[in-house]
Amino acid sequence: MKRPYWALLALSSFVISPLASATRPRYGGTLTVDLTPAWTTLEPSESEALTPLVVETLVRINERGEPEPDLAVNWQHDADRKRWRFSLRSKVTFHDGEPFNATTAAPALLAALKKRYGEVKVTAGGQTIVIQSERAMPDLLSELSLSRSAVFRKTEQSALIGTGPFRVTKWEPGRRVSLATFDDYWNGRPYLDSVIVNLGSTRTNADVFDTPFASARRILPERTRVWSSATRELIALKAANIHPLLLRALALCIDRGPMVSVLTQRRGEAAFGLLPQWLSGYAFLFAATPDVARARQMLSQLTLSPLTLSYPANDSFARSVAERVALNARDAGINLQPVQGVNGNVHLVRWPLESRDAASGLARLFATLGISERPESLYDAERTVLDEGRVIPLLYLPAVYGISPRVHGWDAAQKQGPFGLHLENIWVEP
Amino acid sequence: MSFRAKVFLSITGTVVLAVWIVAGVVSTTVTKSFERREAQRTATLVSQFRREFDRRGADVVRRIEAIANSDAVLRIGVNLSDTAQYYSEAQTLAREQSLDFLELVAPDGSIISSAEWPARFGYKENWLTQPVDWKAQGIFLRLEALADRPALGLITVRTVKAGDGLLYIAGGQRLDKDFLDSLPATEGLRLQLFTDFEFMPAVAAPLIQEVARQPREITRTTSDATTTAIPLFGRDRQLMAVLLVENSRAELASLKNYIQSTALIVGFAGVLLALALSFWTASRVTRPLRQLASSVREVSGGKWDTRAAIESRDEVGQLAQDFNRMTEQLVEQRDRMIQAERVAAWRELARRLAHELKNPLFPLQITIENLQRARQVSPEQFDEVFRESTSTLLAELDHLKTIVGRFSDFAKMPAPQVEPMDLNQIVNDVVKLFEAQINAPGRPRVETTLHLADNLSLVSADPDQIRRALRNLVLNALDAMPQGGTLAIRTQNLDGKVALEVSDSGEGLTPEECERLFTPYYTTKQHGTGLGLAIVQSVVSDHKGTISVQSEPGKGTTFRIELKA
Repeated sequence: MKRPYWALLALSSFVISPLASATRPRYGGTLTVDLTPAWTTLEPSESEALTPLVVETLVRINERGEPEPDLAVNWQHDADRKRWRFSLRSKVTFHDGEPFNATTAAPALLAALKKRYGEVKVTAGGQTIVIQSERAMPDLLSELSLSRSAVFRKTEQSALIGTGPFRVTKWEPGRRVSLATFDDYWNGRPYLDSVIVNLGSTRTNADVFDTPFASARRILPERTRVWSSATRELIALKAANIHPLLLRALALCIDRGPMVSVLTQRRGEAAFGLLPQWLSGYAFLFAATPDVARARQMLSQLTLSPLTLSYPANDSFARSVAERVALNARDAGINLQPVQGVNGNVHLVRWPLESRDAASGLARLFATLGISERPESLYDAERTVLDEGRVIPLLYLPAVYGISPRVHGWDAAQKQGPFGLHLENIWVEP
Repeated sequence: MSFRAKVFLSITGTVVLAVWIVAGVVSTTVTKSFERREAQRTATLVSQFRREFDRRGADVVRRIEAIANSDAVLRIGVNLSDTAQYYSEAQTLAREQSLDFLELVAPDGSIISSAEWPARFGYKENWLTQPVDWKAQGIFLRLEALADRPALGLITVRTVKAGDGLLYIAGGQRLDKDFLDSLPATEGLRLQLFTDFEFMPAVAAPLIQEVARQPREITRTTSDATTTAIPLFGRDRQLMAVLLVENSRAELASLKNYIQSTALIVGFAGVLLALALSFWTASRVTRPLRQLASSVREVSGGKWDTRAAIESRDEVGQLAQDFNRMTEQLVEQRDRMIQAERVAAWRELARRLAHELKNPLFPLQITIENLQRARQVSPEQFDEVFRESTSTLLAELDHLKTIVGRFSDFAKMPAPQVEPMDLNQIVNDVVKLFEAQINAPGRPRVETTLHLADNLSLVSADPDQIRRALRNLVLNALDAMPQGGTLAIRTQNLDGKVALEVSDSGEGLTPEECERLFTPYYTTKQHGTGLGLAIVQSVVSDHKGTISVQSEPGKGTTFRIELKA
């Protein structure tokens, strides 16, 4: 949507009948969004759902897993992928009016990339930025597409200054963030005038609200529709120092079907691999059916002692999954006692899928497990981890939102990316 | 056993026996009364339990029926095509109706939603799909499976039409400690509920296992408590739990302890009273007797003028009066005997002196008369007769002097000069002194035998006096054997003493002679002064020793002296 036309569009939407206003975009209005997390910081790496509203990255990964230009319009790299040169988009400004260029983008990039690659050199020159490291950075584009690599600045007056479609007008940590549309947004002014995001809220009367699994938001207002994102979280069991046979038996006796249908209300997916099918393309290869009889047979060779299954504190969905796993395990003769915390023999983990790039996503999960593998052997490593039972994937979960009937253009807007909220192309009825 | 001890034991025994009998009777009565009350309390509590059971059961039925008739359940019954959406319905309904258990079960028996174990969705509850008239079944006990351990519940089941089948609503409330705590508390009475017949407290295990084997009410009594085990059945008379009613016997034990301690205190007081009574009685009864006994001991100790106090007119007083009369008579007799003995002694002394002096006086008289006659008849021979007569006179006067000297020596016996001395050496010296006399020609043969102990202990004595005493004994022995015989002298070590025996094989003495042997001036010999053995006794007595004589007529005589080593 280009800026010169927005006023015309607004005018036309004003004169068109109210019936037509439900189907045609209109400018103006305030969107209220209620979210259950009560973030106390607007750091892009923390408040991921809000990140696309305020900040942007140099590149983004599209649905096919390919990098696309965002704040960078093109890039080149040397043969070793140690030196990368990015040409930055021109006529982009930060919310405070400062021009976006290599000099203003470099500090945020340097800070983010240092966390990932260690010693990194970022050289700024006009609209060109050069990123250089002693070691190869084959996944640099994927890294730069993550919210934690977003370009932003902070001042004493403002909690977060980015180049995104909305700017922060008021920040009340843990309670509310007020956003106003950024009229000078390089990709055209958003339809909305403002967005109010209430944090730590469990209400269901906002225009948009998240409905975490096992949340109290079970009964939705009339005509509210539920929208699910692509799966972007893996729930799995992680174990160490347990006999591999016992882990394999545990993996065999878990029936993921009822978990998907009942616990996720069919919004989740059964997980057999580390990455979902939409991301890896090969997840179906790991699919298996539960076999309690075989699990019992395997366990007959072992002397079993009671085990504990820990799950994150104050996470009722994780507790439900853990209790179901314990019940399945009991059928096979494994005494698995669910406990809150992180110190169980087996631990139930929630791993966010942060990247559209499968290799990058897998590498990130392996990094969590302390496994360092070359990109070309990631699949074999995944197979080994799964066969050994070190990780038993259970469910992939999407983000689920309740959408008020006055909100339009939601589905198309979210195609911008699977992570975070994209509100620049939605409009609301008055 | 003294009279006082007997009195003490008699009174003590009587008191203790009486206290023991009273305590036993009281204790038995109290125990029976307590056990009656215990049984009543148990029955009351069990009755309260059953009433509360029924009340809660009715409440559960009402709540489950409310759920069965609720819109939420009716909606589920209408739309069973997607049961997943009802996953948490049971929890909500159970919370609304304050139920601990609630399961919504599909017609095929699979759990749609479970309040007590949410994770069990999809699992089968086949017991519900059996052809049972659940409404008629009413309330029943059932062990409900939970994640950690089964829990006993008051359960009821209702059904709702769901298409061609039935939607089952099974729920209820826990029958647990909270349920028991809701019953009116009765001090000393404790209710416990056991559902696990494998793992239970060791104290209760035997009783519960017995009830599990033979499901009937059983009561056991121990020193701590009376425990009644009541089986609780579920559907089909299946044993679900055992209710233990524990009636503490602490109160009874405390009461018994009180009775025992009171009995002990009373018994102890009785013993003290018995002690005091026995002292008082004994002092009243035995004091005169003890005084009399003391008087008797004084009399036996030589104090013959002792008098017993007469404090009563009873038998003891009469006895004391008789005792005093007896001692008066004894004193009179003793005085008379002393007087008689003194007279006898003077007579004996006079007889001896007369005898001793008469013998030399007669030659003196004859010699002087012979001298007078020679002067008158034959003056020419006077000188010769004078010479012979004066010689005889001098000899007889010497004899008289000797006699007087002996009496004088006896009268002035000196105090012994004590020093350590060897008695064997004294014996050898004395025997050597008498050797010439024993072996004198013409004298009948006397054989001397010495049995002297080796390593004889030294005695502290005056050697001269001991030698003199031994000399007298040897001389006495030789005089006793005018026809010859055997003289035997023995020494031997005794316990802290040394003994000396001088034996002869003479004619021996009669017992009467033995009794008077050491009396001064008493002799059995024609020419004895009667002072020899008196001197021996005097010497031995001065040395704190003892002398005794053993003799029988015809078997000789043995004198035995014992001196301290």
